[in-house]
Formats: sequence, structure tokens, C-alpha cells
Amino acid sequence: MYIQPEIIVVVTAFAVLGMEMFLPPRHRVLETPVCLLGLSTALAAVVYLMIQGDGQFLDGQFLFDGVAGWFKVSFLLAGLLTVLLSADLLNGRFKIVAGQERVLIHRGEFYTVVLFNLVGSMFLISATNLINLYVCLELATIPLFALVAWRRNDPLSCEAGLKYIILGATSSAVVLFGLGLLYGLSGSVDLFTMGDNLIFGPATKLAIAMVVVGVGFKLTLVPFHMWAADVYRGAPLPVAAYLSVASKAAGLAFMFQLFYRVLGNVLLDVSMALAVLAAVTMTLGNLVAVVQTNVKRFMAFSAISQAGYLIMGFLAPSGAPSMVYYMLVYVVTNMVVFGVLVFYLNETGREEIEDYRGLAGTNPWIALVMMLGLFSLAGIPPLSGFVGKFFLFSVASKAGFHWLVAVAAVNSTISLYYYLRIVRQMYIEPGFGDDPPIRASASIVTALAVSTVLMVVLGIVPFFYETIYEQTRDWIAVAEVR
Amino acid sequence: MFPTPTITHWLTLSALLFSIGLYGIFTRRNAVGVLLSIELTLNSAILNILIFNRFVASDDVDGQVLVLFIIAAAAAEAVVALAIFVSFYRHRHTLDVTQANHIYDQGNRTS
Repeated sequence: MYIQPEIIVVVTAFAVLGMEMFLPPRHRVLETPVCLLGLSTALAAVVYLMIQGDGQFLDGQFLFDGVAGWFKVSFLLAGLLTVLLSADLLNGRFKIVAGQERVLIHRGEFYTVVLFNLVGSMFLISATNLINLYVCLELATIPLFALVAWRRNDPLSCEAGLKYIILGATSSAVVLFGLGLLYGLSGSVDLFTMGDNLIFGPATKLAIAMVVVGVGFKLTLVPFHMWAADVYRGAPLPVAAYLSVASKAAGLAFMFQLFYRVLGNVLLDVSMALAVLAAVTMTLGNLVAVVQTNVKRFMAFSAISQAGYLIMGFLAPSGAPSMVYYMLVYVVTNMVVFGVLVFYLNETGREEIEDYRGLAGTNPWIALVMMLGLFSLAGIPPLSGFVGKFFLFSVASKAGFHWLVAVAAVNSTISLYYYLRIVRQMYIEPGFGDDPPIRASASIVTALAVSTVLMVVLGIVPFFYETIYEQTRDWIAVAEVR
Repeated sequence: MFPTPTITHWLTLSALLFSIGLYGIFTRRNAVGVLLSIELTLNSAILNILIFNRFVASDDVDGQVLVLFIIAAAAAEAVVALAIFVSFYRHRHTLDVTQANHIYDQGNRTS
């Protein structure tokens, strides 16, 4: 039985929901530690299963292997850090600013929705059946709509939810049409059988294009990125953090399932289209990020450009380990940056880039962490972001896409410029006069410490990449044999 | 008499439904109209899967099972969508999607 982590998360979700129902309001604070405990146990269970080795459940309907394990680690880390980041807002610890509705309500329901969304993502990477795959994709998408519109007294949150659900439902309908075509072309719902039966033709092209629309929506690939900036801006900030990592990881998991298992033998036929998609995505994301003034919108476009780097790994079948590794790195790095954004927005109510001026004077440690996170996103050598980008670029270069590597390198330089804008505000610009140091809450400090340590360790210790490389061999083999 | 419809006719029907739905998504101004169009595209995808189940893989019921799950998921999606529409309406007193432009305005006002 290899399903223990999912069971733990589901049980935690119901436990938290039950506590919300039966506990008096003043005891509902206890839901946070329960939630954290459940997620940590699930994380430990995933690591234990990964040490145990690969396995399957329910006659091969549920497959656990190295790639699935690493994806589940990413999802659970994202969930854990989101719970930590949202604790302050749920506890009511934030600065009240007129005209801003910022409290998060219904602690238990909030956690339950997050946890169910996590379960959907975790099953998604283990599914070997089209039916499972689709239901899990929906479970990894629909709760996010509710999370984005969680502040129902905030007009911006509702508007973001409206935009998100219209585009999300549209893309899910399009991806479903594509999946239906794949089913018709292969005559089976088992992903491996589909992969064996599928041959490349015009209808396959149409199906791939339709599936890429759905994945592009989740991964925020240009031209399906339109929702990102507005939704990140309108959603509660911890939810935006969760969207930027967990939803993206779920999109990548879906892409892994389809591109390696179903489309493994036609992957090289569409690599040119993917290369163009990657180039357009990273260029547009970077160029638009340069002119942003609001940190939420800024992070949205930063996330778009990161997705552009990420899908470079699909250009060659051997790119799987670099994508899994970069996903892990991206989850912790983005959570570092979002952790600082949540902290600063909660404590001061400021969310413009120029509001970060003088942060190094008042809170030198937070500023240092933020700088490390931004440098890792930009890809400065000792940090993990550089290592991840290096592997991705080398995949593209090995596949013969030298022009794409050049575009990506130029884009990395542009991204360094705009990430440094925040660093400049923090370290060089004079602050707001005699601001006292801001005290960070325990949950924020924990989240920042965990994610920063992971970010640095992932880049320095070669164990992680080597292990991922070993464990993705099976996936690559499936794609290369065909 | 009419000839028996073949797989081509059925697939044309589902492609037409899909196109009509997409057209509706892009042109309707009322959010509920957009949701209806989305449901139309979803149903065309469902029809697509059923056609393939009938004509390509007629010896199993996998496609029909898939369709049942899709209907359930689509219902869940519609519920969340309508809930969000209601809360949007409470603030804006309209469901015109072209009026949903306050986030962008607010982002630019401060700059």
C-alpha cells in the first residue's frame, strides 16, 4: 500500500473540518497545529515510501515512484508553508488599513479546502488512468477558485475569483476535449496503453494543442497567462503564494503524465512548438515584470517567466530530472520571497516595490532572506536557482535549441535587473525615517527559516539532484524506447 | 429516408457545439451567459468521448464511466462559479464581465 500520505492528508482535512464544527471559536486556533502536524506526518510518510522504493496500489491504478515522490514532497512543502504563512491573517494579526479588507475568515474551512486541493495534486502524479487523471486535475483546480474568492467582503477578491473561474473552467473544457481526442485516437483510458497505441498525425497535433491550453493555464504560459496578474493581485497573499507554487507544480505533474506516458513517442515532434512557447513566455514575463510597481503583480510576471524556463526541460526526454529539481527549487525559493511579502504586507500594509525602502535598516535578517530569495530566482551562482537553471539550459542546448539558450540567457539578465530593483530599495534607498524594527510572528519566522535553509541546501548539496536523476530514469526510459 | 449517421457526422456535431460554446465565451457579456457557454463546451467534450466510446472502443465502458465523472466535476465547477458570481454581484450589482476591471485600475492608480 503506497497511499498512506494521501490518507493522512484526507484524515487531517476531515479532522480540521470537524474541529471547526464542534469546537467553540476560542479553541479553533488549535486547528493550525493539527494541520501542520498532519502535513508534516504526510511529508515524513512520503520520504519513508521513497526510501522503501517504488510500488503500486489497486492493481496498478495508483503508481508510486521516485518522480511521484518528489512531486508529493513539493506539494506538501508548498501546503505546509502556505499554512504557516496564512496563520497571521487567520489569527487577525495584521495592520488595519482603511479601504483594505484583509482578514481571512473560517480557519477550518480554509485549511480543508487547501488540504483537499493538495490531495488532488498528490493523486494527480500517481494516477495511471485517464479517469483518475481528469478527476484529480479538477480537484487540483476547483478548490483554488474558492480560495481566490475567499474574502467575500473584498470586491477585488471576488473579481479575481470571477476571472479565475471563467478562464479556469474554459481551459478545463478545452483540455477535456483534447483528452477525448486522445482517447478516441488510442481507444483506451490506461495512460500506458494510450501511449503504445498513439501515432503522430494531424488529430494528435490538435489534441496536443488542446491539452497544452489547459496546462498552459495552470503553468501560466503565454498566451494563457492573462489571469495571473489580476488573480495574484486580488487573491489573499498566502493564497497567491500557494497558487504560484502548488498550482504550477500540479500543472507540471499533469504535463509529466501526458507528455511522458501518453505522448512519449511524439514528444520530439512537438519540441519546436514548445521551444517557441518557452521563449515567448519567458520574454513576455520578464519584459512586463520590469515596469510593475505592485509587488503582487511583479511576482505574477516573475512566476510567468519562471514557467518559461521550466518547460525548456520538455525539449529532450532526458530533461525530466532537471524539471523535477527546478520545481522543488522553485517551490522553496518562491515561498521565501512570498514569506517576506506576506510578513511586510501584514505588519505594515505596504505592497508597492518602493515601499520596501529601508527594510535592511529596520529588519536586516528579513532583508537578507529576501535578497537571497530574489537572487535565487534570478539565478545567481551559489544558490539553488542557478543550479536548476543551469540544468534546464543544458537540456535545451543538448537538444540543439541553441537560440533558445541564448534567449533564456538574455532573459536571465533582464530578470536580474528587476529583482535587483527590490534589493536596491531595501539596501540603498533611505527608509521611512525612524521606523522601529518590525517583530515577525513565530509562524512567519518558521516558514522563512525552513524555506531559506532548504533553498540554500538544495543548491549546495549534490545529493538531491543525483537522487532525482537516478529516480527519473524509468520515466525517461519510457519516453526514449518509443 | 435519412442515412444512418456515421462517426464523422457525430464528430462534426460535437465540434460545432464546441465552437458555438467558445464563441459564446468570447462574446457574452453576462457572466451567467459565459458559464452557460462553458457548459456547452464541456458537453461537447462529453459527447466527443461518448462517440469515441461507441465507435472506437465499443467493447468496454471506460468512456461512459469517464463521462459520468466529468458530469459530476462539471456540476461542482458550476456550483463554485455561481457562488463566486453571487458574491461578485453583491459588490458590483452587475454581472457584466466587462465591468470587472477594478483590479487593473487599482494597480495603476497608485503608480
